[in-house]
Amino acid sequence: MPSLANTENKLAVEITDLHKSFGSLEVLKGINLSVRPGEVICMLGASGSGKSTLLRCINQLTVQDRGEILIYGDPIGFVRSPDGKMKEAGTGTLAKQRSHIGFVFQQFNLWPHRTVLGNITDALIIVKKLTEEQAEKIALDRLEEVGLTDWKDEYPSTLSGGQQQRVAIARMLAMEPDVMLFDEPTSALDPERVGEVIDVMRELAQKGHTMILATHELNFARDTADRAIFIDQGVIVEEGPAKDFFKNPKSDKLRSFLKRMGNG
Amino acid sequence: MEFEFRFDIVWNNLSLLLEGVQTTIVLSLLTMVLGTVIGLFVAIIRLRVKRIYAVPFIIYVEVFRGTPGLIQIVWIYYCLPIVTGFQLGELTSLVIAMALNVGAYLSEVFRAGIQGVDKGHIEAAAALGFRPGQITRRVVVPQAAYRMIPAIGNVFVSAIKLSSLCSVLGMAELMYQGQIIIANFFRPIEVFTVVAFIYLIMAYTTSLFMMYLEWKFAWVRRRDNSFWEKFKYISRAAFSLKPQGDI
Repeated sequence: MPSLANTENKLAVEITDLHKSFGSLEVLKGINLSVRPGEVICMLGASGSGKSTLLRCINQLTVQDRGEILIYGDPIGFVRSPDGKMKEAGTGTLAKQRSHIGFVFQQFNLWPHRTVLGNITDALIIVKKLTEEQAEKIALDRLEEVGLTDWKDEYPSTLSGGQQQRVAIARMLAMEPDVMLFDEPTSALDPERVGEVIDVMRELAQKGHTMILATHELNFARDTADRAIFIDQGVIVEEGPAKDFFKNPKSDKLRSFLKRMGNG
Repeated sequence: MEFEFRFDIVWNNLSLLLEGVQTTIVLSLLTMVLGTVIGLFVAIIRLRVKRIYAVPFIIYVEVFRGTPGLIQIVWIYYCLPIVTGFQLGELTSLVIAMALNVGAYLSEVFRAGIQGVDKGHIEAAAALGFRPGQITRRVVVPQAAYRMIPAIGNVFVSAIKLSSLCSVLGMAELMYQGQIIIANFFRPIEVFTVVAFIYLIMAYTTSLFMMYLEWKFAWVRRRDNSFWEKFKYISRAAFSLKPQGDI
Protein backbone atom coordinates (compact mmCIF):
# COMPACT_ATOMS: atom_id res chain seq x y z
CA MET A 1 0.00 0.00 0.00
CA PRO A 2 1.49 3.36 -0.94
CA SER A 3 1.84 5.79 1.87
CA LEU A 4 -0.72 8.53 1.66
CA ALA A 5 1.63 11.02 3.26
CA ASN A 6 4.06 11.19 0.38
CA THR A 7 1.48 11.53 -2.34
CA GLU A 8 0.42 15.14 -1.97
CA ASN A 9 1.07 18.19 0.09
CA LYS A 10 -2.15 18.24 2.04
CA LEU A 11 -3.27 18.55 5.60
CA ALA A 12 -2.78 15.26 7.44
CA VAL A 13 -6.07 15.55 9.27
CA GLU A 14 -8.83 18.03 8.70
CA ILE A 15 -11.88 17.91 10.92
CA THR A 16 -14.87 20.14 10.24
CA ASP A 17 -17.87 20.66 12.46
CA LEU A 18 -17.76 17.26 14.14
CA HIS A 19 -20.76 16.34 16.25
CA LYS A 20 -21.38 13.22 18.27
CA SER A 21 -24.02 12.34 20.84
CA PHE A 22 -24.48 9.23 22.92
CA GLY A 23 -28.19 9.18 23.60
CA SER A 24 -29.07 12.58 24.97
CA LEU A 25 -25.48 13.33 25.95
CA GLU A 26 -23.74 15.49 23.39
CA VAL A 27 -20.08 14.60 23.61
CA LEU A 28 -18.69 16.56 20.67
CA LYS A 29 -20.28 19.89 19.84
CA GLY A 30 -18.76 21.01 16.59
CA ILE A 31 -15.04 20.32 16.58
CA ASN A 32 -12.82 21.94 13.95
CA LEU A 33 -9.20 20.91 13.80
CA SER A 34 -6.45 20.87 11.21
CA VAL A 35 -3.26 18.91 11.61
CA ARG A 36 -0.28 19.41 9.33
CA PRO A 37 1.92 16.47 8.37
CA GLY A 38 4.57 15.94 11.00
CA GLU A 39 2.73 17.90 13.63
CA VAL A 40 2.45 16.58 17.18
CA ILE A 41 -0.74 17.62 18.90
CA CYS A 42 -1.61 17.02 22.53
CA MET A 43 -5.22 17.16 23.61
CA LEU A 44 -5.87 17.98 27.21
CA GLY A 45 -9.10 17.91 29.07
CA ALA A 46 -10.87 16.33 32.00
CA SER A 47 -12.23 12.82 31.61
CA GLY A 48 -15.52 12.94 29.77
CA SER A 49 -14.55 16.06 27.87
CA GLY A 50 -14.66 14.26 24.53
CA LYS A 51 -10.95 13.66 23.83
CA SER A 52 -11.29 9.92 23.38
CA THR A 53 -14.43 10.23 21.30
CA LEU A 54 -12.68 12.67 19.00
CA LEU A 55 -9.72 10.31 18.56
CA ARG A 56 -12.01 7.35 17.99
CA CYS A 57 -13.93 9.28 15.36
CA ILE A 58 -10.73 9.91 13.43
CA ASN A 59 -10.42 6.22 12.64
CA GLN A 60 -14.16 5.57 12.84
CA LEU A 61 -14.15 3.26 15.85
CA THR A 62 -16.87 5.72 16.78
CA VAL A 63 -18.91 7.14 13.94
CA GLN A 64 -19.80 10.81 14.14
CA ASP A 65 -23.37 12.06 13.78
CA ARG A 66 -22.39 15.05 11.71
CA GLY A 67 -19.23 16.59 10.32
CA GLU A 68 -16.39 15.47 8.15
CA ILE A 69 -12.93 14.06 8.74
CA LEU A 70 -10.42 14.18 5.93
CA ILE A 71 -7.19 12.20 6.12
CA TYR A 72 -4.81 13.59 3.51
CA GLY A 73 -7.79 14.97 1.67
CA ASP A 74 -9.84 11.78 1.66
CA PRO A 75 -12.93 11.45 3.82
CA ILE A 76 -12.70 8.56 6.25
CA GLY A 77 -15.71 6.32 6.54
CA PHE A 78 -16.99 7.67 3.26
CA VAL A 79 -16.16 7.42 -0.39
CA ARG A 80 -16.40 10.35 -2.74
CA SER A 81 -18.05 9.25 -5.95
CA PRO A 82 -17.07 10.92 -9.26
CA ASP A 83 -20.04 13.27 -9.11
CA GLY A 84 -18.81 14.60 -5.77
CA LYS A 85 -21.41 12.95 -3.58
CA MET A 86 -20.38 11.15 -0.40
CA LYS A 87 -21.27 7.52 0.07
CA GLU A 88 -20.76 5.49 3.22
CA ALA A 89 -17.67 3.31 2.83
CA GLY A 90 -18.06 -0.46 2.81
CA THR A 91 -16.29 -2.54 5.45
CA GLY A 92 -13.43 -3.37 3.09
CA THR A 93 -12.81 0.26 2.17
CA LEU A 94 -13.03 1.37 5.77
CA ALA A 95 -10.57 -1.34 6.81
CA LYS A 96 -8.13 -0.14 4.17
CA GLN A 97 -8.53 3.46 5.32
CA ARG A 98 -7.94 2.44 8.91
CA SER A 99 -4.74 0.62 8.04
CA HIS A 100 -3.19 4.03 7.34
CA ILE A 101 -4.10 5.33 10.77
CA GLY A 102 -2.37 4.00 13.84
CA PHE A 103 -4.22 3.79 17.13
CA VAL A 104 -2.75 3.17 20.57
CA PHE A 105 -5.25 2.35 23.29
CA GLN A 106 -5.23 3.15 26.93
CA GLN A 107 -5.64 -0.57 27.71
CA PHE A 108 -2.98 -1.69 25.15
CA ASN A 109 -5.37 -4.29 23.72
CA LEU A 110 -2.73 -6.79 22.74
CA TRP A 111 -4.19 -10.14 21.74
CA PRO A 112 -3.61 -12.55 24.60
CA HIS A 113 -3.54 -15.59 22.32
CA ARG A 114 -0.64 -14.30 20.21
CA THR A 115 2.98 -13.87 21.18
CA VAL A 116 4.58 -10.44 21.14
CA LEU A 117 5.89 -11.20 17.68
CA GLY A 118 2.54 -12.59 16.51
CA ASN A 119 0.76 -9.48 17.74
CA ILE A 120 2.92 -7.43 15.40
CA THR A 121 3.16 -9.73 12.38
CA ASP A 122 -0.56 -10.61 12.17
CA ALA A 123 -1.65 -7.30 10.70
CA LEU A 124 1.31 -7.25 8.32
CA ILE A 125 0.43 -10.69 7.01
CA ILE A 126 -3.35 -10.36 7.02
CA VAL A 127 -3.82 -6.71 6.09
CA LYS A 128 -0.65 -5.88 4.19
CA LYS A 129 -0.36 -9.38 2.68
CA LEU A 130 3.34 -9.66 3.43
CA THR A 131 5.05 -13.03 3.70
CA GLU A 132 5.88 -14.37 7.11
CA GLU A 133 9.59 -13.61 6.72
CA GLN A 134 8.99 -10.05 5.58
CA ALA A 135 6.57 -9.47 8.43
CA GLU A 136 8.94 -10.95 10.97
CA LYS A 137 11.78 -8.76 9.81
CA ILE A 138 9.69 -5.61 10.14
CA ALA A 139 8.35 -6.73 13.51
CA LEU A 140 11.83 -7.35 14.89
CA ASP A 141 12.98 -3.93 13.70
CA ARG A 142 10.05 -2.27 15.42
CA LEU A 143 10.58 -4.31 18.57
CA GLU A 144 14.16 -3.15 18.65
CA GLU A 145 12.94 0.40 18.35
CA VAL A 146 10.91 -0.01 21.53
CA GLY A 147 13.60 -2.10 23.20
CA LEU A 148 11.75 -5.40 23.53
CA THR A 149 13.52 -7.74 21.12
CA ASP A 150 14.20 -10.24 23.90
CA TRP A 151 10.51 -10.55 24.62
CA LYS A 152 9.40 -11.52 21.13
CA ASP A 153 8.30 -15.05 22.04
CA GLU A 154 6.52 -14.15 25.24
CA TYR A 155 2.78 -13.81 25.61
CA PRO A 156 1.40 -10.39 26.58
CA SER A 157 0.20 -11.63 29.96
CA THR A 158 3.80 -12.10 31.08
CA LEU A 159 4.72 -8.49 30.28
CA SER A 160 4.39 -5.43 32.48
CA GLY A 161 1.96 -2.71 31.48
CA GLY A 162 4.70 -0.48 30.16
CA GLN A 163 6.11 -3.29 28.07
CA GLN A 164 2.69 -4.17 26.72
CA GLN A 165 2.11 -0.58 25.70
CA ARG A 166 5.48 -0.50 23.95
CA VAL A 167 4.54 -3.67 22.05
CA ALA A 168 1.23 -2.03 21.13
CA ILE A 169 3.16 0.96 19.82
CA ALA A 170 5.49 -1.35 17.86
CA ARG A 171 2.43 -3.11 16.41
CA MET A 172 1.08 0.22 15.25
CA LEU A 173 4.46 1.38 13.91
CA ALA A 174 4.89 -1.77 11.85
CA MET A 175 1.93 -0.73 9.73
CA GLU A 176 3.70 2.54 8.90
CA PRO A 177 0.63 4.66 9.52
CA ASP A 178 0.44 8.20 8.21
CA VAL A 179 -1.28 9.47 11.32
CA MET A 180 -0.82 8.11 14.82
CA LEU A 181 -3.51 8.44 17.44
CA PHE A 182 -2.78 7.84 21.12
CA ASP A 183 -5.70 7.57 23.51
CA GLU A 184 -4.25 8.21 26.98
CA PRO A 185 -1.43 5.74 26.38
CA THR A 186 0.04 6.09 29.87
CA SER A 187 -3.10 6.38 31.98
CA ALA A 188 -3.34 2.65 32.74
CA LEU A 189 0.30 2.30 33.75
CA ASP A 190 2.00 2.19 37.10
CA PRO A 191 3.64 5.56 37.73
CA GLU A 192 7.14 4.10 37.47
CA ARG A 193 6.29 2.61 34.07
CA VAL A 194 5.07 5.82 32.48
CA GLY A 195 8.54 7.05 31.63
CA GLU A 196 9.48 4.20 29.31
CA VAL A 197 6.38 4.74 27.17
CA ILE A 198 6.84 8.51 27.16
CA ASP A 199 10.41 8.02 25.95
CA VAL A 200 9.21 5.93 22.99
CA MET A 201 6.59 8.51 22.07
CA ARG A 202 9.07 11.35 22.37
CA GLU A 203 11.35 9.54 19.96
CA LEU A 204 8.49 9.09 17.49
CA ALA A 205 7.70 12.78 17.71
CA GLN A 206 11.30 13.67 16.96
CA LYS A 207 11.25 11.43 13.89
CA GLY A 208 8.57 13.65 12.41
CA HIS A 209 5.52 11.41 12.68
CA THR A 210 2.11 13.00 12.67
CA MET A 211 0.71 12.35 16.12
CA ILE A 212 -2.45 13.26 17.94
CA LEU A 213 -2.48 12.38 21.60
CA ALA A 214 -4.99 12.54 24.38
CA THR A 215 -2.89 12.71 27.50
CA HIS A 216 -2.63 13.88 31.05
CA GLU A 217 1.16 14.06 30.87
CA LEU A 218 1.60 17.82 30.98
CA ASN A 219 5.39 17.69 30.86
CA PHE A 220 5.33 15.59 27.74
CA ALA A 221 2.82 17.94 26.15
CA ARG A 222 4.86 20.98 27.10
CA ASP A 223 8.19 19.92 25.66
CA THR A 224 7.20 17.54 22.85
CA ALA A 225 3.99 18.78 21.32
CA ASP A 226 3.92 21.40 18.59
CA ARG A 227 0.46 22.41 19.54
CA ALA A 228 -1.76 21.82 22.53
CA ILE A 229 -5.52 21.77 22.56
CA PHE A 230 -7.79 22.07 25.53
CA ILE A 231 -11.17 20.41 25.18
CA ASP A 232 -13.97 20.98 27.62
CA GLN A 233 -17.50 19.61 27.32
CA GLY A 234 -17.13 18.78 23.67
CA VAL A 235 -15.69 22.03 22.39
CA ILE A 236 -12.14 23.18 21.82
CA VAL A 237 -11.79 25.93 24.38
CA GLU A 238 -8.25 26.92 23.69
CA GLU A 239 -5.45 25.94 21.36
CA GLY A 240 -2.01 27.20 20.64
CA PRO A 241 1.70 26.46 20.51
CA ALA A 242 2.44 24.18 23.43
CA LYS A 243 4.94 26.55 25.05
CA ASP A 244 2.61 29.57 25.37
CA PHE A 245 -0.29 27.34 26.17
CA PHE A 246 1.02 26.37 29.57
CA LYS A 247 2.65 29.69 30.37
CA ASN A 248 -0.28 31.98 29.70
CA PRO A 249 -3.56 30.14 29.57
CA LYS A 250 -6.22 32.57 28.37
CA SER A 251 -9.42 30.95 29.54
CA ASP A 252 -10.42 30.42 33.15
CA LYS A 253 -11.35 26.84 32.38
CA LEU A 254 -7.86 25.98 31.19
CA ARG A 255 -6.33 27.86 34.10
CA SER A 256 -8.30 25.89 36.63
CA PHE A 257 -7.67 22.63 34.74
CA LEU A 258 -3.93 23.20 34.75
CA LYS A 259 -4.09 24.08 38.43
CA ARG A 260 -5.89 20.83 39.18
CA MET A 261 -3.25 18.94 37.20
CA GLY A 262 -0.55 20.52 39.33
CA ASN A 263 0.78 22.96 36.78
CA GLY A 264 0.52 25.88 39.27
CA MET B 1 -31.36 -61.81 55.43
CA GLU B 2 -28.06 -61.61 53.62
CA PHE B 3 -28.03 -59.91 50.24
CA GLU B 4 -25.89 -61.66 47.74
CA PHE B 5 -24.60 -59.74 44.73
CA ARG B 6 -25.08 -61.65 41.51
CA PHE B 7 -22.82 -59.86 39.06
CA ASP B 8 -22.45 -63.06 37.06
CA ILE B 9 -25.88 -62.30 35.59
CA VAL B 10 -24.51 -59.07 34.19
CA TRP B 11 -21.34 -60.68 32.85
CA ASN B 12 -23.35 -63.38 31.14
CA ASN B 13 -25.43 -60.77 29.37
CA LEU B 14 -22.65 -58.31 28.71
CA SER B 15 -23.04 -58.62 24.94
CA LEU B 16 -26.56 -57.23 25.29
CA LEU B 17 -25.22 -54.22 27.14
CA LEU B 18 -22.45 -53.69 24.62
CA GLU B 19 -25.01 -53.63 21.79
CA GLY B 20 -26.75 -50.91 23.76
CA VAL B 21 -23.47 -49.05 24.14
CA GLN B 22 -23.15 -48.86 20.37
CA THR B 23 -26.57 -47.31 20.03
CA THR B 24 -25.87 -44.91 22.89
CA ILE B 25 -22.67 -43.80 21.21
CA VAL B 26 -24.42 -43.24 17.88
CA LEU B 27 -27.25 -41.34 19.57
CA SER B 28 -24.87 -39.21 21.60
CA LEU B 29 -22.46 -38.36 18.80
CA LEU B 30 -25.24 -37.41 16.40
CA THR B 31 -26.81 -35.32 19.16
CA MET B 32 -23.53 -33.55 19.86
CA VAL B 33 -22.90 -32.75 16.21
CA LEU B 34 -26.43 -31.56 15.44
CA GLY B 35 -26.65 -29.80 18.80
CA THR B 36 -23.44 -27.91 18.08
CA VAL B 37 -24.79 -26.78 14.72
CA ILE B 38 -28.06 -25.64 16.29
CA GLY B 39 -26.25 -23.97 19.19
CA LEU B 40 -23.87 -22.05 16.93
CA PHE B 41 -26.70 -20.99 14.66
CA VAL B 42 -28.85 -19.73 17.53
CA ALA B 43 -25.93 -18.01 19.26
CA ILE B 44 -24.87 -16.16 16.11
CA ILE B 45 -28.42 -15.14 15.29
CA ARG B 46 -28.93 -13.83 18.81
CA LEU B 47 -25.73 -11.82 18.61
CA ARG B 48 -26.36 -10.44 15.15
CA VAL B 49 -30.03 -9.49 14.92
CA LYS B 50 -32.06 -6.88 16.73
CA ARG B 51 -33.57 -8.00 19.98
CA ILE B 52 -37.12 -8.27 18.58
CA TYR B 53 -36.04 -10.79 15.96
CA ALA B 54 -34.15 -12.77 18.57
CA VAL B 55 -37.30 -13.33 20.64
CA PRO B 56 -38.25 -16.68 19.02
CA PHE B 57 -34.74 -17.96 19.71
CA ILE B 58 -34.82 -16.75 23.30
CA ILE B 59 -38.13 -18.57 23.76
CA TYR B 60 -36.64 -21.72 22.22
CA VAL B 61 -33.64 -21.63 24.56
CA GLU B 62 -35.72 -21.00 27.65
CA VAL B 63 -38.30 -23.68 26.81
CA PHE B 64 -35.71 -26.37 26.18
CA ARG B 65 -33.65 -25.46 29.21
CA GLY B 66 -36.66 -25.09 31.42
CA THR B 67 -38.62 -28.27 30.74
CA PRO B 68 -37.70 -31.88 31.51
CA GLY B 69 -35.72 -33.62 28.78
CA LEU B 70 -37.96 -36.66 29.03
CA ILE B 71 -41.04 -34.66 28.16
CA GLN B 72 -39.24 -32.99 25.27
CA ILE B 73 -38.27 -36.34 23.82
CA VAL B 74 -41.71 -37.84 24.27
CA TRP B 75 -43.36 -34.75 22.89
CA ILE B 76 -41.26 -34.56 19.76
CA TYR B 77 -41.48 -38.31 19.23
CA TYR B 78 -45.26 -38.56 19.52
CA CYS B 79 -46.70 -35.09 19.04
CA LEU B 80 -44.57 -33.61 16.29
CA PRO B 81 -45.91 -36.07 13.69
CA ILE B 82 -49.45 -35.30 14.85
CA VAL B 83 -48.96 -31.53 14.70
CA THR B 84 -46.92 -31.36 11.51
CA GLY B 85 -48.18 -34.50 9.83
CA PHE B 86 -44.60 -35.40 9.19
CA GLN B 87 -43.43 -38.87 10.15
CA LEU B 88 -39.80 -39.23 11.14
CA GLY B 89 -37.85 -42.36 11.89
CA GLU B 90 -37.29 -43.32 15.51
CA LEU B 91 -33.59 -42.51 15.58
CA THR B 92 -34.09 -39.27 13.66
CA SER B 93 -36.78 -37.89 15.90
CA LEU B 94 -34.89 -38.86 19.05
CA VAL B 95 -31.71 -37.23 17.80
CA ILE B 96 -33.62 -34.09 16.83
CA ALA B 97 -35.26 -33.92 20.24
CA MET B 98 -31.98 -34.34 22.08
CA ALA B 99 -30.11 -32.01 19.74
CA LEU B 100 -32.69 -29.30 20.38
CA ASN B 101 -32.12 -29.76 24.09
CA VAL B 102 -28.33 -29.77 23.78
CA GLY B 103 -28.42 -26.90 21.27
CA ALA B 104 -30.30 -24.72 23.73
CA TYR B 105 -27.58 -25.15 26.34
CA LEU B 106 -24.75 -24.84 23.84
CA SER B 107 -26.14 -21.67 22.31
CA GLU B 108 -25.75 -20.02 25.70
CA VAL B 109 -22.22 -21.36 26.03
CA PHE B 110 -21.31 -20.04 22.58
CA ARG B 111 -23.01 -16.71 23.14
CA ALA B 112 -21.21 -16.16 26.42
CA GLY B 113 -17.91 -17.25 24.90
CA ILE B 114 -18.20 -14.89 21.96
CA GLN B 115 -19.42 -12.01 24.08
CA GLY B 116 -16.66 -12.67 26.57
CA VAL B 117 -13.96 -11.62 24.11
CA ASP B 118 -12.63 -8.23 25.15
CA LYS B 119 -14.11 -5.54 22.91
CA GLY B 120 -10.75 -3.79 23.00
CA HIS B 121 -9.09 -6.75 21.25
CA ILE B 122 -11.64 -6.47 18.47
CA GLU B 123 -11.16 -2.72 18.19
CA ALA B 124 -7.39 -3.17 18.06
CA ALA B 125 -7.80 -5.45 15.06
CA ALA B 126 -10.26 -3.07 13.41
CA ALA B 127 -7.88 -0.16 13.95
CA LEU B 128 -5.10 -2.10 12.23
CA GLY B 129 -7.29 -2.62 9.18
CA PHE B 130 -8.73 -6.12 9.72
CA ARG B 131 -12.02 -6.74 7.96
CA PRO B 132 -14.91 -8.09 10.07
CA GLY B 133 -14.45 -11.69 8.87
CA GLN B 134 -10.73 -11.52 9.63
CA ILE B 135 -11.47 -10.22 13.11
CA THR B 136 -13.82 -13.14 13.72
CA ARG B 137 -11.31 -15.73 12.53
CA ARG B 138 -8.15 -14.26 14.01
CA VAL B 139 -9.28 -12.65 17.23
CA VAL B 140 -12.73 -13.83 18.34
CA VAL B 141 -12.72 -17.54 17.52
CA PRO B 142 -9.30 -18.45 18.95
CA GLN B 143 -10.08 -16.75 22.25
CA ALA B 144 -13.71 -17.82 22.52
CA ALA B 145 -13.03 -21.45 21.54
CA TYR B 146 -10.44 -21.95 24.26
CA ARG B 147 -12.62 -20.49 26.99
CA MET B 148 -15.73 -22.38 25.88
CA ILE B 149 -14.22 -25.87 25.84
CA PRO B 150 -14.85 -26.79 29.50
CA ALA B 151 -18.46 -25.62 29.29
CA ILE B 152 -18.98 -27.48 26.02
CA GLY B 153 -17.58 -30.57 27.74
CA ASN B 154 -20.22 -30.24 30.45
CA VAL B 155 -23.01 -30.16 27.90
CA PHE B 156 -21.57 -33.10 25.95
CA VAL B 157 -21.30 -35.24 29.07
CA SER B 158 -24.91 -34.37 29.91
CA ALA B 159 -25.89 -35.35 26.38
CA ILE B 160 -24.60 -38.88 26.92
CA LYS B 161 -26.70 -39.24 30.04
CA LEU B 162 -29.65 -37.56 28.36
CA SER B 163 -29.65 -40.34 25.78
CA SER B 164 -30.67 -42.80 28.50
CA LEU B 165 -34.14 -41.24 28.39
CA CYS B 166 -34.59 -42.69 24.92
CA SER B 167 -35.11 -46.06 26.60
CA VAL B 168 -38.60 -44.87 27.48
CA LEU B 169 -39.48 -44.90 23.79
CA GLY B 170 -38.05 -48.34 23.21
CA MET B 171 -34.76 -47.28 21.70
CA ALA B 172 -32.41 -50.18 22.34
CA GLU B 173 -29.62 -48.14 23.88
CA LEU B 174 -27.63 -48.94 26.99
CA MET B 175 -30.31 -48.11 29.57
CA TYR B 176 -32.97 -50.01 27.65
CA GLN B 177 -30.79 -53.10 27.34
CA GLY B 178 -30.09 -52.92 31.04
CA GLN B 179 -33.78 -52.80 31.81
CA ILE B 180 -34.34 -55.86 29.64
CA ILE B 181 -31.79 -57.80 31.66
CA ILE B 182 -33.44 -56.56 34.85
CA ALA B 183 -36.86 -57.66 33.60
CA ASN B 184 -35.53 -61.12 32.96
CA PHE B 185 -33.45 -61.70 36.07
CA PHE B 186 -34.88 -59.25 38.63
CA ARG B 187 -31.44 -57.97 39.53
CA PRO B 188 -31.68 -54.17 39.24
CA ILE B 189 -28.84 -53.30 41.64
CA GLU B 190 -26.16 -55.28 39.83
CA VAL B 191 -27.32 -54.28 36.37
CA PHE B 192 -27.69 -50.58 37.20
CA THR B 193 -24.28 -50.57 38.87
CA VAL B 194 -22.60 -51.90 35.77
CA VAL B 195 -24.67 -49.67 33.45
CA ALA B 196 -23.70 -46.64 35.52
CA PHE B 197 -20.09 -47.66 35.32
CA ILE B 198 -20.28 -47.89 31.52
CA TYR B 199 -21.86 -44.41 31.36
CA LEU B 200 -19.04 -43.18 33.56
CA ILE B 201 -16.44 -44.56 31.16
CA MET B 202 -18.13 -42.86 28.20
CA ALA B 203 -18.47 -39.59 30.06
CA TYR B 204 -14.91 -39.68 31.26
CA THR B 205 -13.61 -40.41 27.77
CA THR B 206 -15.49 -37.31 26.61
CA SER B 207 -13.96 -35.29 29.43
CA LEU B 208 -10.47 -36.43 28.50
CA PHE B 209 -11.10 -35.53 24.89
CA MET B 210 -12.21 -32.05 25.93
CA MET B 211 -9.10 -31.70 28.07
CA TYR B 212 -7.04 -32.63 25.05
CA LEU B 213 -8.84 -29.95 23.04
CA GLU B 214 -8.18 -27.48 25.80
CA TRP B 215 -4.52 -28.33 25.60
CA LYS B 216 -4.62 -27.95 21.82
CA PHE B 217 -6.26 -24.55 22.03
CA ALA B 218 -4.29 -23.21 24.98
CA TRP B 219 -2.39 -20.26 23.63
CA VAL B 220 0.09 -20.08 26.44
CA ARG B 221 1.62 -23.51 26.40
CA ARG B 222 5.00 -25.01 26.71
CA ARG B 223 7.29 -24.51 23.77
CA ASP B 224 7.86 -28.25 24.08
CA ASN B 225 5.06 -29.88 22.11
CA SER B 226 6.45 -33.39 22.31
CA PHE B 227 4.32 -36.45 22.84
CA TRP B 228 5.71 -36.87 26.34
CA GLU B 229 4.69 -33.34 27.33
CA LYS B 230 1.25 -33.94 25.88
CA PHE B 231 0.95 -37.21 27.77
CA LYS B 232 2.01 -35.59 31.01
CA TYR B 233 -0.49 -32.79 30.56
CA ILE B 234 -3.42 -35.07 29.79
CA SER B 235 -2.64 -37.53 32.55
CA ARG B 236 -2.23 -34.77 35.07
CA ALA B 237 -5.49 -33.28 33.92
CA ALA B 238 -7.11 -36.70 34.05
CA PHE B 239 -6.36 -37.03 37.72
CA SER B 240 -7.21 -33.40 38.39
CA LEU B 241 -3.83 -32.73 39.92
CA LYS B 242 -3.55 -29.52 37.96
CA PRO B 243 -6.42 -29.29 35.52
CA GLN B 244 -5.17 -26.31 33.51
CA GLY B 245 -1.52 -26.81 34.16
CA ASP B 246 0.08 -24.45 31.74
CA ILE B 247 -2.02 -21.38 32.09
